[in-house]
Amino acid sequence: MRIALENFTKTFGDTAVIENMNLEIASGEMLALLGPSGCGKSTTLFAVCGIHRMDGGRLLFGDKDVTSVPSQNRNVGVVFQNYALYPHMNIYENIAFPLKIRKDNKKTIDEKVQEIAELVHIPELLDRKPIQLSGGQQQRVALARALVREPDVLLLDEPLANLDAKLRLEMRSEIRRIQQKTGITAILVTHDQVEAMSMCDRIAIMDKGQIVQLSTPKDMYENPASEFVAGFMGNPPISFLDGTVDENDLRLANSSQSLPLSSNISLPNDGETLRLGIRPEHFQPNYPAKLSGKISFIETQGREVLYDVTLENGDVLRSIQSSGMPHAIGELVTWGIDPDKTLAFAANGSRL
Amino acid sequence: MRRAHLLGLGFMAPALLIVCLFFLAPVIMTAVFSFTNMSSGTGISGGAYEVTEKTVRRLPEHGFPEAKAEMLAQDVYRIDPAGLTALGAGYGKALADEVGKSLSGKTFNGRRDLERALKKMKARPRSIREIKVAADLFKRSVLNTRYETEDAFVAAITDLDLKLDTSERALLSKVAYTGWTWTTENYELIATLPSTLRAAANTLTYVGFTLAFNVGFGLFLALATFYLPGAQAATFRAIWILPRILPPVIYIMMWKWLTWDTGFISSFLSNFDVTPRNWMLHSDINAWVSIVLINGFVGASLGMILFSSALRAIPSSMLYASEVDGASRLQQIWYIILPQLRWPILFTTAYQTLSLLTSFDYIYLSTDGGPGSSTEVWALYTFHTALNNYGGALQYGLGAALALVLVVIGIAASLVYLRLFNFDKLVAKPRIEQ
Repeated sequence: MRIALENFTKTFGDTAVIENMNLEIASGEMLALLGPSGCGKSTTLFAVCGIHRMDGGRLLFGDKDVTSVPSQNRNVGVVFQNYALYPHMNIYENIAFPLKIRKDNKKTIDEKVQEIAELVHIPELLDRKPIQLSGGQQQRVALARALVREPDVLLLDEPLANLDAKLRLEMRSEIRRIQQKTGITAILVTHDQVEAMSMCDRIAIMDKGQIVQLSTPKDMYENPASEFVAGFMGNPPISFLDGTVDENDLRLANSSQSLPLSSNISLPNDGETLRLGIRPEHFQPNYPAKLSGKISFIETQGREVLYDVTLENGDVLRSIQSSGMPHAIGELVTWGIDPDKTLAFAANGSRL
Repeated sequence: MRRAHLLGLGFMAPALLIVCLFFLAPVIMTAVFSFTNMSSGTGISGGAYEVTEKTVRRLPEHGFPEAKAEMLAQDVYRIDPAGLTALGAGYGKALADEVGKSLSGKTFNGRRDLERALKKMKARPRSIREIKVAADLFKRSVLNTRYETEDAFVAAITDLDLKLDTSERALLSKVAYTGWTWTTENYELIATLPSTLRAAANTLTYVGFTLAFNVGFGLFLALATFYLPGAQAATFRAIWILPRILPPVIYIMMWKWLTWDTGFISSFLSNFDVTPRNWMLHSDINAWVSIVLINGFVGASLGMILFSSALRAIPSSMLYASEVDGASRLQQIWYIILPQLRWPILFTTAYQTLSLLTSFDYIYLSTDGGPGSSTEVWALYTFHTALNNYGGALQYGLGAALALVLVVIGIAASLVYLRLFNFDKLVAKPRIEQ
């Protein structure tokens, strides 16, 4: 089911957390609300499921206005960060709870619970209590409970935050598999860009209560609308070089070095400051525009190695390379940048 | 023993001392007293031997021959050698000889007859008063005379020449003894007296209704304030704690002002042509309603505080989850909140049962068991029996037995509750996972 937020506003006391936000999610799409903590992504999610009242604007499920429909009647499934399973009920009762409240008959409930338990791979756990389950299993139960009554919308609030690294990888694909299998419209709230990119069709990146960019993961990575987005997307993160425009070059601040600028940047006037974003994979030994610096930090990641290269003006560039070329800390290197892959930003952070 | 252990004992010592002094010792003394017939009549030290009108009346009930009992009651004066010797020492040999000659061996019923005979003597004393004193020297009755030892009493009885056999004499000594004796009579009384049964029934009513009110209303307050905005909730909670910080005497006084026949309720209702009455003591129902409310308003605040904190321990996401699962407020309370409040509810119930069982302070201050004895609970009944009643006849022994019954019930209930709670589990881990 299509979800649309129109001019959504939410205030807590005198503070407007979100003002006039517009967002449309297509039916069957999985969308990530991505942003740092405090950006309003959870607030948006709680407004969609009805736990928080909206202070302005409209919320549409399909063509139906549900702005003032209480959360009990919105038919949304929510997976909470701490799963919020009911500790006094066993797993079966937890999953059956929404159906029991809806007063479905016993047989229907039983069939649906078994079916959903199969879907999330927990049919053998139904007799247990939540406390006897591991984090990943609790997560599956929470997912089953959210999905059992076939909601119009599935909302996931940081569902992977409480899991350890290995389980997080596993559940990432599990959630996506289940979402695709059920074809449900889903919103994922997360502060982890890897989660957002790997699980979702589109990402809405939020900052200070505003959606800064709404796009597909690939486009957002390659074409960030602002310095904030560029900094948020990518792991290891992008590094920035400050400088002033000198014809078609960037003269690095406090440095004698300069870099050629790409022709597809709409250049500001000479002498204006400009910030260049360079992703670690675009700073490589064999790229043309050379910069010299000293390796100040090495992080071995197995297949790849991440180098921090400190330039003479103190700025740091990151480079990720396949392991095999051994470099040592303190080594002076002259590596290159592909000017066409760099991202240029104006002083106010907007993309040039 | 290690130093740390000694230190621990040292810290415990004051508590142990207090427990011994104010709990163990009284309980043991109560147990001892409960097997005596101590009362304000017998006193708590030893007694004496005395035949009174009451003794005479009671003797036949114990199987003492009625005729002999009546003889005990008679005021007998006999002219015998012992009396004559005493008379000679006090009033001169002349009078003694004269009396001995004319009256020797004679018996008079009542002093008046003897006085009259003495007045005929030539050597009689001048004043009537002295004649009366002289006559007393011949008194051979035990009626209303205290004998400090049993030997003296038996000697006096023997002197009466009632021709008692050994068993009759032993019976007489026993009945005439004014001090306390060992007995199991108290427990038989408890089992048979209608007033004890009444007190037991009253206690059940009191504990049952007050407990239900305390827990139910406490729960209601906790839930109601839980769903209110913070500031309002805090205000309401503060209001409901007020009865607890009010001095009980003042609190009851206010209730009395409220319910007196010239009090607030009556004055207010008189506007609607309702006859003024004492709304606390007008009927049994009035008294019970007052008592349950008086106790309940104080007791509910404890439950409210316990339940409120337990409610806050429920993660808010769990409540959100139940809401998006479709549960209404009532369903949320019924399916999610109440099951998680099971332990605080059980605890409050247990705790309040124990304290209500022995508490009578508010009842004592408000109705004092009235009207009649319709609100006299076991603890108050005990208090009245043993320590404070209108007639002033205090039955320490029976009171102790009544108190002991309550102690036994209390300890038994505590053990059951400890078992029920599985104390180890209670102190182990919070039951609500975060």
